Amino acid sequence: MTEMIQEILKEYNAKMKLSLKVCAHCSLCAESCFMFIKNNKNPIYMPSYKFINSIGKIYKKKGNVDLKMLEDMKPIIWKNCVLCTRCYCPLGIDIPSMISLARTICRMSGVYPQYNEIY
Amino acid sequence: MVKSKQKPLAEIKDLLKSYSSILNVGCGGCASVCLAGGQREVIALNNELSLLFKQEGLDKKIDGYTVERQCNVDFFQGLSDERIKKYDCIISMACGAGVQFLAEAFKSKPVFPALNTVSIGIDKDIGLYEERCRACGECVLAYTGGICPVTRCAKGLFNGPCGGTNRGKCEIGNEYPCAWYEIYERLKEQNRLQDIKKIQPAMLWKNQVLRVTIQEPYQERYKMY
Amino acid sequence: MEHINSIYVLVYNLVRGPLVWISSIIFIVGTIYQIWQMLLLTKINTRPIIKVFDKQYNETHEKNKEESCFSSLKRTICGIHPIMIVVTTLFHILLIIIPLTLLAHNILLENAVGFSLFSFSEKISDILTVLFLVSSFFFFIRRIFLKRVRIISTFYDYFIWFLATAPFLTGFLAYHHIFNYRIIITLHIFLGELMLVAIPFTKFSHMIFFFVFRFIVVNEYSFRKHQVIRTW
Repeated sequence: MTEMIQEILKEYNAKMKLSLKVCAHCSLCAESCFMFIKNNKNPIYMPSYKFINSIGKIYKKKGNVDLKMLEDMKPIIWKNCVLCTRCYCPLGIDIPSMISLARTICRMSGVYPQYNEIY
Repeated sequence: MVKSKQKPLAEIKDLLKSYSSILNVGCGGCASVCLAGGQREVIALNNELSLLFKQEGLDKKIDGYTVERQCNVDFFQGLSDERIKKYDCIISMACGAGVQFLAEAFKSKPVFPALNTVSIGIDKDIGLYEERCRACGECVLAYTGGICPVTRCAKGLFNGPCGGTNRGKCEIGNEYPCAWYEIYERLKEQNRLQDIKKIQPAMLWKNQVLRVTIQEPYQERYKMY
Repeated sequence: MEHINSIYVLVYNLVRGPLVWISSIIFIVGTIYQIWQMLLLTKINTRPIIKVFDKQYNETHEKNKEESCFSSLKRTICGIHPIMIVVTTLFHILLIIIPLTLLAHNILLENAVGFSLFSFSEKISDILTVLFLVSSFFFFIRRIFLKRVRIISTFYDYFIWFLATAPFLTGFLAYHHIFNYRIIITLHIFLGELMLVAIPFTKFSHMIFFFVFRFIVVNEYSFRKHQVIRTW
């Protein structure tokens, strides 16, 4: 599992590392997310929070993630994000691609949403 | 969202009979939400097909992979040309748009649909969906009290009701409600019956040609005519 | 005492001599390298041109021409966080303007290479520095007290904030001869060089990233929406 993840991480290494690096943690992306607005402006719905705590964590651990970690990530990248691709970043970071990569990695490890259950 | 339904297994099996190495590509978008073509359904279909092939003594390899969305090339992560090269054909568990886009992206491989795209609909309950829109491109809901005559009227009439309306039911069968009766009732309730008298011009059936949507801020970019 | 003094002279000469050149070269080369790297990440837009079959179909509603520039700005991020946008714009402009237009810097530049840039009077620079420090303080307060910023802040963010603010603070202290001038000015030069070196390689690289990705990469919020230039 780890090897497979590391392979795909390597493929997107340059873009993801750069995006994670330049993010100034300014939180200006918050209001562009309708999920954030809809959930009483709860900061856990901020686009930056979502990518830092999904793909950011995976890169920090260099792909050495266990199933439990991915399971914990699942609500962040599926329930809290619908991938509408409308996130605004003042610096121009491509946030949707980061969430989507996190989802791809989860899917490869067999962690994905079941739409007939409430998770 | 777009609602779809899996094709009969026999039909899918028939499509694959001359290929030995198959990739089943799921879609994490609408097809996944309506429980027709997500990752779980990809695994389920693959299991069923492998069992079927085994029973018939056929030596076929079938793999599964689910992308986040098949209607946007940005989400084809992990579907590299190299990966595709290993397979003889692809089956797509997405709506018609996804199947076509996959076929467009990998022109050298045959791409088969595993789903029938049914409608743009609403979720009545888990696994139960109902059509609400046929994407005709000429929305008249403003005059019809929010009831769509194209999807709900058997004749798809823009001006109704017709002579076949029968005490709130449709002439095609007593179990079908008459859409135009419902429209009348709703407009009456909202006190705007004058709307039903407005004659809507006949549909130009523009959906006979490829409809392209360009949003206002991007008009300039794609200006070419 | 004599001993400490000679060490000080050594450090001071090092900091105001070779280190200036080294840090400037690292900054310039690093920036060029990063721009090149960022361009490598993107490619020229090769998406097929869309053929519009039905001209009529894409008629959109007339834009309201009465709408002023100001009210259309209100629909952007400027309308959502006006204060933050004013402060952040001020902060980032001053961050570049102050060091370049400071009289003392320009005199040093004149002495070293024989030309100098336009400089404001010392009084104006002093006021601008205070403005900068106030807006920087605003960022710090925001990071501590606003839950949405705090939740994603790490030690690194505070360090970067410190690195950006410290050269200005020490410069301000040095100009007003608060504390020991000799130590403060050495610290000021050193921190300035440290920041210059850090720009291409740390979070500061958002300075380069901003210009590359907001201006030449196609996306919903790019500043040049109508020109199809590059994609990710």
